[in-house]
Amino acid sequence: MVGAPSSASTPDGKSAPNGTSPADGAAAASEPPASPRSITPTTVKDLRDAVSTVGAVLIRGTGTATTWGAPVRDARTTVSLAGMDRVLDHRPADMTVHVQGGIRLDVLQAELAEHGQWLPYDPARSEATIGGLLATGDAGPRRLAYGSLRELVIGATMVFPDGAIAKSGGHVIKNVAGYDLAKLCHGSLGTLGVVAELVLRVHPLPATSRTVMVRDVDTASAQRLTWALTKSAIEPSAVEWCEPEQVLAVRFDGTADGAAARAAAARSMLTGSLAELDAGEAHSFWESHAARVVAEPGDTVMRAATRPGVDPGLVGALSAWADRAGVKALLTCSPATGAYTVRVTGADAKAHAELVKNWRASVEAVGGFVMLRRRRPGVDAMVESWGRAPGSVEVMRRVKGNFDPENRFAPGRFAPWF
Amino acid sequence: MELQAATDRRRALAAVLRDVSAECGPSLRVLSGQAERRAYETDALTAHRVLPGLVLLPADRSQVAPIVRACLRHGVPYVARGAGTGLSGGALPAESGVVIALAKLNRILDVDPDRMVAIVEPGATNLSISAVAGEFGLYYAPDPSSQVVCTIGGNVAENSGGAHCLKYGFTSHHVLAVETVLPDGTVTVLGSDDIEAPCYDAPGYDLRGVFVGAEGTCGVATRIAVRLLRRPEAVRTLVADFPDVPSACETVSAVIAAGIVPAAIEMMDNLAIRACEDAVHAGYDRAAAASLIIELDGHGEECAELFDQVSALCSEHACTRLRIAADEAERAAIWAGRKAAFAAMGRLSPEFLLQDGVVPRTRLAEALAGIADLSAAAGLRVANVFHAGDGNLHPLVLYREADGEGPAAEKLAADIAELCVALGGSLSGEHGIGVDKACSMPKMFSPADLTAMDRLRAAFDPSGLCNPGKVFPTPALCGEAKAGAYQPHPLEETGKIQRW
Ligand SMILES: Cc1cc2nc3c(=O)[nH]c(=O)nc-3n(C[C@H](O)[C@H](O)[C@H](O)COP(=O)(O)OP(=O)(O)OC[C@H]3O[C@@H](n4cnc5c(N)ncnc54)[C@H](O)[C@@H]3O)c2cc1C
Repeated sequence: MVGAPSSASTPDGKSAPNGTSPADGAAAASEPPASPRSITPTTVKDLRDAVSTVGAVLIRGTGTATTWGAPVRDARTTVSLAGMDRVLDHRPADMTVHVQGGIRLDVLQAELAEHGQWLPYDPARSEATIGGLLATGDAGPRRLAYGSLRELVIGATMVFPDGAIAKSGGHVIKNVAGYDLAKLCHGSLGTLGVVAELVLRVHPLPATSRTVMVRDVDTASAQRLTWALTKSAIEPSAVEWCEPEQVLAVRFDGTADGAAARAAAARSMLTGSLAELDAGEAHSFWESHAARVVAEPGDTVMRAATRPGVDPGLVGALSAWADRAGVKALLTCSPATGAYTVRVTGADAKAHAELVKNWRASVEAVGGFVMLRRRRPGVDAMVESWGRAPGSVEVMRRVKGNFDPENRFAPGRFAPWF
Repeated sequence: MELQAATDRRRALAAVLRDVSAECGPSLRVLSGQAERRAYETDALTAHRVLPGLVLLPADRSQVAPIVRACLRHGVPYVARGAGTGLSGGALPAESGVVIALAKLNRILDVDPDRMVAIVEPGATNLSISAVAGEFGLYYAPDPSSQVVCTIGGNVAENSGGAHCLKYGFTSHHVLAVETVLPDGTVTVLGSDDIEAPCYDAPGYDLRGVFVGAEGTCGVATRIAVRLLRRPEAVRTLVADFPDVPSACETVSAVIAAGIVPAAIEMMDNLAIRACEDAVHAGYDRAAAASLIIELDGHGEECAELFDQVSALCSEHACTRLRIAADEAERAAIWAGRKAAFAAMGRLSPEFLLQDGVVPRTRLAEALAGIADLSAAAGLRVANVFHAGDGNLHPLVLYREADGEGPAAEKLAADIAELCVALGGSLSGEHGIGVDKACSMPKMFSPADLTAMDRLRAAFDPSGLCNPGKVFPTPALCGEAKAGAYQPHPLEETGKIQRW
């Protein structure tokens, strides 16, 4: 393995300690410190000074996704966004909010909720920072109804490796002036720039959310029921299917009467062993769903995307390969958007790597991809975090080269692609 | 020197023609005569005109890459063109450049009713997608008023919007993948890798998100995978009249603040109302200072519940008349009136300029008051018909060229756009920057912002040959800033499409 995981300077899952800014930025730049250091700027200008250094830089939010993609090599400086965690300007009547990139999603949601609003975005990692969530391109089950963060960001301030502070978009919900730098950074995993500030479009908090659950739904039925639901007029906000439990969970957000009516309509449409969960049951179901997606250290987590649908061939392949490798594979799938998250537990690194390799081949054969969000120690030596490179990788390389010619931001993150 | 340059350009064009003819064969339509080329010298922003050197109409999408490669080989600039309805000069050719006209690539290649996805060629019109998807109860949501004729390729380039984008989002929210001939001549899918099996997610940078809205400067789209939506179960529409503009604006804010997301909220001021009513007799109140058209859609009971709330909010804000569409025919009449605004404007004034600025929704009243002040100071009338729900203004500056009002109108239009920026808004909500507003970009973006954007552009197009001179301010363009009167697209004159 090349270099130590860069999160070594701070314990995984905890926010970075209040790092001291270098006493003399210029001296630090000309004479890099030998050991990794952590900086926690509180303003955009401090942030710019922090990244305008020499050597590799790892940008850190809450530290919930430091293991996503390939490990970063030789990070000399960790720049923590923990000190940039404020709401700068919430305009409830405009339904927009301007925040610093380091604000945690759960903190933001709590603040918005006081005004009867929310960001309609439910990734499993609610303690992650908003900038980190953009950079990881994460999305949760309710993306079906509300889109992902890329659809909710209306403005961004980025700090690029050369220290340039650049904005795109603005405070208005409709805007086509200039290129969209926020979209560029969606999925960039800290390799292009730091998300210093974001302006987001928020929504009214739905009065009610209801969840209907169907048990004993095999893969073919999951697919059939999903199509039936998404093509009906009942507008579910999420449809999730879990394996091996074989449950299909359908969520409805809306007015009290409206959500109830739609949940009732769903019950009459679906067949099999049906139940509408009460608020407590629904809460714990979605919590456990998120916990499966996040998993635990020592697990391997694969994230796959295919065209919409839950492909019986892929689900079958997953369990067959898992059996062969002697590991447990726990799947959650958003069939309507073709997103799969697989938590792998049990056995050893070799078995995990074997499963990743084999299942990845199956997914790639149907035009999808598999990336690693987490892996058991040792897996990296046996299987790449990224699979077959997409055709657009050449453009990504050029983008990376133009913004970060010295390859300082999270070097290695997209290995072996670039 | 000049002469030499002109000779070089002619030689380069001849070389492009020779190469593409050899590679693409006779099915590639070539327009090289001056009269034929003239039809491509402008889009709907007719004040800007540049005669292209060559117009190529691919008969098959495999012909696009050889064209781009030939242009690259011989250093010739090129621009993709859909229907030419763009309102910011996006499809304006470069001098002695090539126009790649994609109108013949207009097939709907696949509709997957289960996955709710369609794969289409770039020259397919916006409405043709919904026409085909309609067989399955599905439709393509973004609805620019030009949708009968504008192409999905143009929509992708401009990230086009429409009245119903308030609830459903803009083009960018509905495009899953774009097969692109990149400026280096390679064919690459942006978004998920296999355009025939498009995924919501793709690994790495969101290049599809960058391409959508890049105004044709990052390559030429040859296939596009779009999401389809199910038609809503219920649709309810009302017209609310108000005694003054601020009351209408406050109603918009109140609806938004109440947590209701209507499908559309459109606003007209008195000048626009009178003009539309005289032209179409849609039943608008000529005495109203302002009217709102508000539409809600969704699941039956919920839609009805929210619609009652909206009606109540209108009444609370001094609404003088509330007209609720009783049936589909009345709803169509209300929208027909709204969409007849263009024909109506023609009656009010021989010439007008159209702006497209956006302001935060709580500042609509302020923006309209500011526009009224600027209008009074300039001594020119301004009519307003616009997407109030998302703060996207469409002020029409009315003037008479014959009376020498042109320069004052241009100044007023630019002042209005910049007023929007000063109010914390944007130069453009849906029409794009193109050449039209490139010179105002520094009012909205700092040099660092523009440099970052230019870096991104250079990653796609290091040669700078793909639709040059757009979006970014250039000395050549902004040194001799010019704008001009709007002239109708031929299809508008026949009433087939409307301006907003
Ligand atoms: C009457 C009228 C009403 C309108 N109403 C609206 C409205 O409600 N909302 C709205 O948003 N706009 C509206 N517009 C503006 C215009 O219709 C849109 O911008 C539309 O998307 C342009 O499509 P087009 O096919 O005409 O593109 P063109 O005008 O031909 O080109 C527009 C841009 O797209 C690029 N382009 C075209 N095809 C491709 C391709 N395949 N690959 C890469 N780049 C390409 C061109 O280079 C150019 O930069 C209106 C225009 C008119 C005339």
